Amino acid sequence: MKRYALRQLVQLAVVIVGISMLAFAILHVIGDPVTLLLPQNAGKEEYARYYKLLGLDQPVYVQYWKFASRAVQGDFGKSWYTDTPAFKLVIERMPPTLYLTFAGLGMALLISLPMGILAALKRHSLVDNLCTVVAVAGQAMPLFWLGIMLIIIFAVRLKMLPASGYGTWQHFLMPAFTLGAFLAPITMRLVRSGVIEVMSTDYIKTARAKGVAEWMVVAKHAFRNACIPVITVLGLQFGQLLGGAVVTETVFAWPGVATLTVDSIRNQDFPVVQCAVVLLALIIVAINFVVDMVVGYIDPRIRVGT
Amino acid sequence: MRRILAVSFALLFVVGLGLVPAVSAQTREETLIYSLQSDIDNWDPPNSVLREAIILGYHVFDHLAVRDLKTRKVGPNLALSWKPIDDTTWEVKLRQGVKFHDGTPFTAKDVKATFDRVLDPAKKMTARGNHAKIKTVEIVDDHTVRFKTDGPYPLFVERLTAQVMQSEKVIREKGHEFMQENPIGTGPYKLVKWSRKQEHLLVRNDDYWGAKPAFKYVKVRIIPEKATEIAELLSGGVDIIKAIPPDQMDVINKSGSARTATSPILRTAMLQLDQAARSGPNPFTDKRVRQAANLAVDTDAIIKHVLNGLGDRVATGINPMAFGWDANLKPYKQDLAQAKKLLAEAGFPNGVDIVFHEGPPIVEPAIQQTNDAIVADMAKAGFRVKRNFIGDNTVLVARIKDGKAGSMFNWSWGYYSVFDADAILHDVFKCGENYSYYCNPALDDLIFQGRSTLDAKKRAETYVKAQQLLFDDAAYLYKWGLRGVWGISNRVEYQAPADEVDRMFTVTLRKK
Amino acid sequence: MSAVRAGDVALERANAPITGPTAGRRSLRRLWRLKWGLAAALVLLLIVLVTLAAPWLAPYSPVEVDIQHRLGPPAWMEGGKTDHWLGTDQIGRDLLSRMIYGGRVSLLIGVTAVAISSTIGVLLGLAAGYFGAKIDWIIMTLINVMLTFPFVLLALAVIAVLGASLINMIFVLGVAGWPIYARVIRAETMALREREFVVAGRALGMSHARIIFGQILPNLVSAITVVATLQIAQVIILESFLSFLGLGVQPPTPAWGNMLGEGRVYMLNSWWIAAFPGAAIFITTLVINLMGNALRDWLDPHMKL
Repeated sequence: MKRYALRQLVQLAVVIVGISMLAFAILHVIGDPVTLLLPQNAGKEEYARYYKLLGLDQPVYVQYWKFASRAVQGDFGKSWYTDTPAFKLVIERMPPTLYLTFAGLGMALLISLPMGILAALKRHSLVDNLCTVVAVAGQAMPLFWLGIMLIIIFAVRLKMLPASGYGTWQHFLMPAFTLGAFLAPITMRLVRSGVIEVMSTDYIKTARAKGVAEWMVVAKHAFRNACIPVITVLGLQFGQLLGGAVVTETVFAWPGVATLTVDSIRNQDFPVVQCAVVLLALIIVAINFVVDMVVGYIDPRIRVGT
Repeated sequence: MRRILAVSFALLFVVGLGLVPAVSAQTREETLIYSLQSDIDNWDPPNSVLREAIILGYHVFDHLAVRDLKTRKVGPNLALSWKPIDDTTWEVKLRQGVKFHDGTPFTAKDVKATFDRVLDPAKKMTARGNHAKIKTVEIVDDHTVRFKTDGPYPLFVERLTAQVMQSEKVIREKGHEFMQENPIGTGPYKLVKWSRKQEHLLVRNDDYWGAKPAFKYVKVRIIPEKATEIAELLSGGVDIIKAIPPDQMDVINKSGSARTATSPILRTAMLQLDQAARSGPNPFTDKRVRQAANLAVDTDAIIKHVLNGLGDRVATGINPMAFGWDANLKPYKQDLAQAKKLLAEAGFPNGVDIVFHEGPPIVEPAIQQTNDAIVADMAKAGFRVKRNFIGDNTVLVARIKDGKAGSMFNWSWGYYSVFDADAILHDVFKCGENYSYYCNPALDDLIFQGRSTLDAKKRAETYVKAQQLLFDDAAYLYKWGLRGVWGISNRVEYQAPADEVDRMFTVTLRKK
Repeated sequence: MSAVRAGDVALERANAPITGPTAGRRSLRRLWRLKWGLAAALVLLLIVLVTLAAPWLAPYSPVEVDIQHRLGPPAWMEGGKTDHWLGTDQIGRDLLSRMIYGGRVSLLIGVTAVAISSTIGVLLGLAAGYFGAKIDWIIMTLINVMLTFPFVLLALAVIAVLGASLINMIFVLGVAGWPIYARVIRAETMALREREFVVAGRALGMSHARIIFGQILPNLVSAITVVATLQIAQVIILESFLSFLGLGVQPPTPAWGNMLGEGRVYMLNSWWIAAFPGAAIFITTLVINLMGNALRDWLDPHMKL
């Protein structure tokens, strides 16, 4: 188990480094942020001074090394746009995005668990196919369309929920649902297959033979078996979710790190972008690591495999 | 084990929700909610070029003078009176008994400290260019200040409304970085909390020297998506929003919970043509091509149909509300035949290729629709327009400043709320200025003449000549003066401001 | 990361259908079970044909501006005219024509981007699966990095440099989409590598290239087809996502994604401008998904997806 954990940690580190390098490279190809920073009438010496100040006159690998060595200590530099430490800016906005993502995952589970179980139990019937259609529909709808539709229905017409913003649990409902709808199809498919698989095992047959009530069979055994693969894939999906988070955050005026990152990319605020990308990657990879550990513990086949 | 996992996930979710900050103590009754589509970069108004920073600055700080929105004249505020002592000296008398939010009294030394800081080239403050004509500020006594200017400065009084007064003590003791996030002013509201890109919370200054605002709290929310902003207005989540696209006005007016208010504003829109060849050689260096562009577009129809009439046609870049506007100069009328003829004369019988840099609808709400209509009209005259949409305003402005935005790009100018022709001529039409793609020494002479005398009549005559020149030379593709559209909840009373500065401290509850 | 592997196992189970009793009845029952997929395929065919026939079917040019008649509602609503069956948009362009032409652009983007990413992904997947060891490790790390790297950043960065255009968008979507193919192909290749005909081929001295392209690849065609089909739907959705950020197809060229983006502020009153392209994206991606699922069930029920 220890060897497995170590291997995973190494993989994790490699991925993080890879991501930070990629982000660094891309940002430096994008363009010249100094033009955006300097006020009117700045002359050539000004440009030269700023280049030096920001360390942009050094070769790329030197810049990367400087960045990496400082980053490991938690110093990601100061935002070029607002002069505050990049780390502070990103950390401030991380919680709303994380809550949103977890809430979205929670919503996805809420939608897909009952639907998946139902579809599995009534396999190949109309109900089964309908569930598939509904699940796929969630992914077939562009996120911002769904989001705005929900706002129009629930905030404007019905006045039941706040249209946007962050603060109470009511503020969570629509954004979480929007993100969750995005994840529902794949989760539902997993639940369905997990339940189908377990329903035909000897284990279940034994339980039935023992006279255990049908609903108990479903509730205890089928449900539990469905959870594991779901959790595994959800860990992976977390990364994809962040893309959806950008749109959701914009539509619902959610003060998250996804919109901060996009704005910073547009402003060419390198320190903030790099900080956000690295921290987000850390979180995603950490979650996947936890999932790996848990799954590896439960199912030795995974651990021992190639 | 699996149960543990499921339970822990559920717990995580619940705990996560629990950690969400509780609703704050202020009630909806006593709070006025205003929304912006993008947040300010800092709370130091002279250090920001954003209109939002000007607006928020009005709430926490005061200016020496302010514009009376009804008479459109500049009146006293922190300054009680002013007079020119000679051609290059102005004496200003200050109001007494005014205190900053931290208790320090407002005196002449604060005026001097503020201007010294802004004018200091080493500090590189954004507002320096605005006040560059001021050479020094001298303290005569605690409540009298003398400004020495570099030559006659006719815009002196107007520009008194364009600089907030900051505390000398704060500048000296706390420094620049502190001031970016902690505004200490003399204004009707104080800043309680700023959550970047999310919201600002302001609380009423109960020791304010002027009229006390009706609302105890003002919350400024940042809502980047227009559809969401309008939805918030309709559902009662926000009280006042601005820059509403004309097409969405009927939704608000029919809703029963909110209404719209419009006002002509100083902001004037145009398409800059690269006459000065800042981005390199291009067809617009030829006057005939520029004239053809102006003749190709049926601007009146666009105002009527696309803006629903909410625009004031202008012959040049001068706004009808600005001093110096020539009412007798009639704008270009669409004439496609003439446009084609001019293009042929200029050497483009088979049409001409141009590049168009477009921006997002932040300051001009219906910009995408009007751009589409303009481009369609230009195509009829033979212009083949390659469109280049730049999604971020900051990036577009930076590119423009860099000289990379030719051959044509969207531009609008708010005059810094100074109702004078000079406020646009200098920055947008003068040769060599950052945001000007036009270069004409004859015009530069007229600009210089206009700002070198205090004689209003002489200035007006100069500006008539300038406008004729700009019209004949078809410097840019002229559009219109914008009309601001505000959305106001039926819960409150509010006047749409002609200077584009929203004043939440003037908002009152509507009487039932 | 082994979560990938665990995910693969789970997905494999998820997508394996249940087999029936006798052979003859089995194939008939299989076809009947796939009825949803067949219906979906027909709808898709209809959509493709309509968009291909755009120059003949569309009543107007998709870029013809007519500001006097802007924001016209669809023909069946109050104020609607039969000149414009689906109404007009914010500068008077006919919505029906834009829908048809827009479909061309969206489908074109989908197909081309998928062609690019599948090519890259298949090649890398083959390499990783076949050669194993170091090469596999490098490619797997690359896959993990790409999957964890936010697509938005990549798209914004690339388009910021190259400018927003149809070609650049296809490029970005193509380049960003390869990991999923690589993962699937890698898994399949690894399984096939141990099969007898491959081992025999090596024993006979066949070159690596011949084995990969001559023996392994043909067996992967069904997997590639299924993934590619499902990815077309995914790319169409991503196109609307990029348009939302202002990076998509530039006006006045219509594409369902940018029509939806332009129309989103009008959802409150002139809702048809956004509703029709939104519905088009919805229906198209739905049928592609249903068809893709059925395709997988039909071609190779035991596929690891």
